[in-house]
Amino acid sequence: MPAGPAGADAAPAPVQEPRAWASLSIEGAVGAALMGLLCLITFANVVTRYLTNVSIAFTEEFSVAMMVMLALVGAAAAFARNQHMRMGFLVDGLPARGRRAIELLVLALGCSLFALLVWYGSRLAWDEFRFDVGSPGLGVPQWLYTIWLPVLSAVVCARIIGRMIRLVRAGPAEASTPGRPGSSTTGGTR
Amino acid sequence: MLSGGALLLIAAFAVLLLLGVPIAVALGLSGVIVILALDLGIASLPTTVWTGIAKYPLLALPVFIAAGMIFERAGVAERLVRLMSALIGRRAGGLALVAILVSMILGGISGSGAADAAAVATVLLPSMLKQGYPRPFIAGLVAAAGSTAILIPPSIAFIVYAVIVPGVSIPALFIGGIVPGILAGVSLMVPAVWFARKHGWGARDDEERPPIGQAFREASWGLAAPIVILGGLRSGAFTPTEAGVVAVFYGLFVGVFVYRTLNLRRIYEALRDSAEISAVVLTIIAMASVFAHAGATVGAFDAMARSLMALTDNETLMLLIITMMLLIAGMLLDAISIFMIFIPILMPVVKAYGWDPTWFGIIVTMNLAIGSFTPPMAVNLMVTCRIAGCTIESTTGWVLWMVAAMGTALLAVTFVPELALFLPRLSGAL
Repeated sequence: MPAGPAGADAAPAPVQEPRAWASLSIEGAVGAALMGLLCLITFANVVTRYLTNVSIAFTEEFSVAMMVMLALVGAAAAFARNQHMRMGFLVDGLPARGRRAIELLVLALGCSLFALLVWYGSRLAWDEFRFDVGSPGLGVPQWLYTIWLPVLSAVVCARIIGRMIRLVRAGPAEASTPGRPGSSTTGGTR
Repeated sequence: MLSGGALLLIAAFAVLLLLGVPIAVALGLSGVIVILALDLGIASLPTTVWTGIAKYPLLALPVFIAAGMIFERAGVAERLVRLMSALIGRRAGGLALVAILVSMILGGISGSGAADAAAVATVLLPSMLKQGYPRPFIAGLVAAAGSTAILIPPSIAFIVYAVIVPGVSIPALFIGGIVPGILAGVSLMVPAVWFARKHGWGARDDEERPPIGQAFREASWGLAAPIVILGGLRSGAFTPTEAGVVAVFYGLFVGVFVYRTLNLRRIYEALRDSAEISAVVLTIIAMASVFAHAGATVGAFDAMARSLMALTDNETLMLLIITMMLLIAGMLLDAISIFMIFIPILMPVVKAYGWDPTWFGIIVTMNLAIGSFTPPMAVNLMVTCRIAGCTIESTTGWVLWMVAAMGTALLAVTFVPELALFLPRLSGAL
């Protein structure tokens, strides 16, 4: 087992990058950008509060909305890479064929949840647009925030469907979840 | 008795979980099933998900994950290891002590046990193997030591607890976690040193001892990080989120200008990876709020709290029952999911007995820390076993002693609440 050079990524088992139609580095770049922005905005808040009289506390509203976007973008990539925490011990005991069937069912269930978010999320954003709802903090149109929920949930659905397609094409042997000796796994180590 | 809706919620969640559905999806979907079955208004689903995570205090979560990741990538762990090795020197069990101490200090920078354990295991594995420590012991020890990260501030678990329990502040939990975190770490030293002495691990004299002065100068940048974080919080200069961001920029400064280990590429990777880890946790929280909404509407949590309280009137017995329940849950699920599922059930019990919610959050977190390295299903142990190249089962003989040791520390904090509460009270955070 390679332990990796000291100080390098503490990635014990390198996750095999799935061959997706649209590279997962898109989500990676957007996630990194959102994370960087979150840090910069919050840091700017501290600096302006201590060095000037200007308060930019209103940026909280942006930061919080960006955190929701970050969650969905990262969730999409995590679905494609099978990085969401889950309990695999029952399914891992099954023969390959059954495992693949269940894996497809599991993915379909995940897709249905996010599909509901796409549908009802768009209706929510549409209502906010029609009735001209303003955001509680800044009074900007609320739908400008809300719209990201259905849009990014659709990205999550697409990633799940992508993984289902790869699973079907790969055949039963690939259905196992490698490096996961029967347990809830953590996304916290990559 | 549980209502039909409550039974449906629990049954759906259990079936989905056993099928291997991701925990986040299982939480969200079982909530949706109840909402649809009882016609509770599915149209509010997106609002529930959005407001579940669109909370300012929760911003501390991604920010502290990023801070921990940047310090890790900057190479703080191996510099701390060098300093601790220089201080402790070569003796039986020396490196085991180093592993525990470094995990605790790293816990003062990062808030996630698995990340902490991964960093320490990667750095210490080669030298520990050379000194004769067996792989399963290393994996078990580092997994246990890493679990202190969710007790020693900053802590992702405390942030989530403060967000879901009204009237509990993040600074009070952070400061309250210090003594229990140290107790937990120190308790591990007993079995670690005992086994090392007994088997003579690390007694051989072949590794060069690093010079203390230089080791200290290099490590001091990392040692200062917990002081920056806690100092800023304690003085009220920063909100928890801001303290995390200050740590991020301090880590960038150290990594780029002092250690010269970070370049643009590595900074980008640290941001990208911390974004994805945060997303996995935030998705659980978002979907758990659907579960919580459905559960609260059908009265599932109150009913379960009532049946729990019907078991006994004895306060001590109740605490032990809760501890056992959480330990078992901690073996199966991750800390964040357990908070989201169990806290709504346990809060009525906490109120009925008049327990301090800050102290309760700390002992629940301590339970979950133990669960994170208790086989067969343990998040930290899985990480360290993968690095050490051994099976989880092989660690059992060692790990059970560490579970017992940290369990003793847990019982101490459970029955002497002041251990957790005197520091927050002293500092005025409570």
